[in-house]
Amino acid sequence: MDLALILGGLTNVLSLTNISLVLLGTLLGLFVGAMPGLSATMALALLLPLTFTLEPATGLSMLAALYVGASYAGSIAAILLRTPGTPAAAATVMDGYPLSEQGQAGKALGISLFSSFFGGLMSGVALLTAAPLLGVMVLEFGPVELFAIAVLGMTIIGSLSQGSVVPGLLSGGLGLLVSTVGMDTTTGTPRMAFGNINLFSGIDFTVALIGLFSVPQALLLIEKTGSPSKVASAIKDRLVPKMSELKRLMPNILRSGCIGIATGLIPGTGGDTASWFAYNEAKRFAKDKSSFGKGNIAGVAAPEAANNAVVGGALVPTIALGIPGSSSTAILLGALMVQGILPGPNLLTDHGEITFTLIWAVIMANIALLVVGLMFTKLCVSVTRIPDGFVACAIITLCIIGSFAINNNFFDVGLMLAFGAFGYWMVKADISPAPMVIGLILGPVMEKSYKQSMLIGQESFWVFLESPIATVLLLIALLSFLQATPFFRWIKSLFKMIRSQ
Amino acid sequence: MKIKLLTATIMTAMALPITANAEYSAGDEIRVLQGFKAGGGSDALAQLAQPYLSDILDVEFVNEYIPGATGGIAWTRLAKQSPNDGTVISITNTPMLMTNYLINEEMQYNVDELTPIANVITDPGIIVVGEDSPYDTVEDLFEAAEESPGTVTVGNSGVGGDDYFSTIMVERASGLKFEKVPFEGDGPSATAAMGGKIDASFNNVGIVYSQIQSGDLKPLAVLAEERLDMIPDVPTLKEMDIDVVAGSSRGYSAPADIPDEARQNLIEAFEELAENEEFLQQAEDSAFNIDVVTGEDYEQMITDMESEYQDIWEKVEDDA
Repeated sequence: MDLALILGGLTNVLSLTNISLVLLGTLLGLFVGAMPGLSATMALALLLPLTFTLEPATGLSMLAALYVGASYAGSIAAILLRTPGTPAAAATVMDGYPLSEQGQAGKALGISLFSSFFGGLMSGVALLTAAPLLGVMVLEFGPVELFAIAVLGMTIIGSLSQGSVVPGLLSGGLGLLVSTVGMDTTTGTPRMAFGNINLFSGIDFTVALIGLFSVPQALLLIEKTGSPSKVASAIKDRLVPKMSELKRLMPNILRSGCIGIATGLIPGTGGDTASWFAYNEAKRFAKDKSSFGKGNIAGVAAPEAANNAVVGGALVPTIALGIPGSSSTAILLGALMVQGILPGPNLLTDHGEITFTLIWAVIMANIALLVVGLMFTKLCVSVTRIPDGFVACAIITLCIIGSFAINNNFFDVGLMLAFGAFGYWMVKADISPAPMVIGLILGPVMEKSYKQSMLIGQESFWVFLESPIATVLLLIALLSFLQATPFFRWIKSLFKMIRSQ
Repeated sequence: MKIKLLTATIMTAMALPITANAEYSAGDEIRVLQGFKAGGGSDALAQLAQPYLSDILDVEFVNEYIPGATGGIAWTRLAKQSPNDGTVISITNTPMLMTNYLINEEMQYNVDELTPIANVITDPGIIVVGEDSPYDTVEDLFEAAEESPGTVTVGNSGVGGDDYFSTIMVERASGLKFEKVPFEGDGPSATAAMGGKIDASFNNVGIVYSQIQSGDLKPLAVLAEERLDMIPDVPTLKEMDIDVVAGSSRGYSAPADIPDEARQNLIEAFEELAENEEFLQQAEDSAFNIDVVTGEDYEQMITDMESEYQDIWEKVEDDA
């Protein structure tokens, strides 16, 4: 790597116009991320034509800032309203909303902001120092390895269902079932679509997510209106977390950041997957597992550090190989093309200055996120002062706009409402929607990679054991699976019995 | 200062129609239905071509993204539910436009319900292998497939896509049998070849051009009539007496029976676009292979493709 190029990129980023546009981009990202249904990808695509007239460095910085901002802001609505603003923030709901219910919304948001900042910063540094190295890793992940990752991810359902095994598995199974709707990739024919062309590409994950989380929440708020039990607005609790708290969370944040970078690297997985992986690992390593889901700050820090670390991870294949790691980075690649740069493996060498500008912009954007985020979040906390009835109406309105905006298709609004009604029933039946979300995210990944693996491996299961990466991942999955069953306890008691005899 | 600036903008905006070169007979706004996500390949064409077209026709283009059913939702809407007064057009990707309904009877539209305006880009098919692949020429690859039929794995961008069909066309022309592995798009298929996860990938030149330049992918053959200027050392399949020419094209179509005048305006605009040096340079920089075919010729191109792919799909179904 050329030091001159790295410094060139840094000076490009540090111009006055650039910094102001980074701040603006972050603000836009925060807004888009906070709105359920409006995604970073969508905002990037809309902003893209506007950057054509800007200098390459400025345009890229602004886009990167938007991407970073949106990755954090999904947690705002997740914590305050139990409505994930972006798919990647679904895991944040688990512990973020309970905290908010306990009047600690400010604390939860502060933890989320700082975790996002550290996660994002980690991934930026990884990008700056190790992009070519990590790029080689990307190619190691083919269908076989992706299948193993999906299987490993499925074990999260087990850990999420601890204590309520049957409802948890039911929810996860339903998620998998719903994910089979749509085109069968190996035959090219639609399944379970009932001849409805709107279902040919399957059920959009975001549509289901909005319905499952947001609509039931709105209905519950309406049910609660009138009752005086509402927790007073929590502005008084400070947004900036205590040093001691951050110190305690640091190992968690570092681990989640690494998970985020790795998940971002792998083509086919992104922030939605990474946040659940990180959440699960935070729970696995925690001493006090039972407090998860009831408002543990570690359960907020983990998914947020991970989903912001995905930004840098997803940029690795983009920069090192010229292949987009996610739909958002695909648009960043488009931005490079418009500037007359044909993205490819030569991005770090021939177009080094622009590329390093982009990397520095990601790092800068994370710093901007901390500043702008603090102010923006402080404003958002005032949502807790608004009467529940109004909030409920606002949520429903946002849901309808959001689910329409994804594909500009009214069918999706109906679908979202159907999922909403189902989600409401799930709440009443005390079934957590979280396992269903995992099923919906990983079902398609698992199915497609399984079929591809079978084609590649001539219909033999050995193909999974021929790949060392897949073998290790599957072994970890097996251990996780056993951990969720009484198997290890049996072994322990067996040992005890032998010893006592 | 601000007010001055504002008045200036308004004045220029008002002055524009007078100075513009041509008027579009159907109004000053055209909605473009896009069957794929913003930021994808269709959008790349829109972002490239529409600023120039906007100048030529003096209209505003409004992109509307309706992803789903590999473009099918947008094209159904174009054929069935859009006003045919020239205010709505769509980016039409071939052969996807036809294979969609050839493969799935549930897909309700067909090309007779559209007015093809112009093709803009054709990205020729190409066969690539990873850097470390043992195959250096297309003959190596074909020999391996001949020795053990059905074991050489080749990736494509998905069942129904151009690469899937071109693989079948090659199989039929050469009598070989490959194991076809569908991916979700050209990118993942190329990545799998790069990592040696599959033996080869049937892809498109524009997608893999920079990886070929950097040596991460080895090009074996292009599926074009003649060798391409971008990669002159890569032979065509035709040179090996395998008569397969295929690729993925993107152009514009309107609903059936739009007013003749509007159709003529649009066709002329695309003809003017094809002559625009700045546009051609920008396309070349982005590795887009410009292939402007307008009006009846585009219609012919679509009809020919339809019958060719229908023929292939019927045989595939017979084999299954």
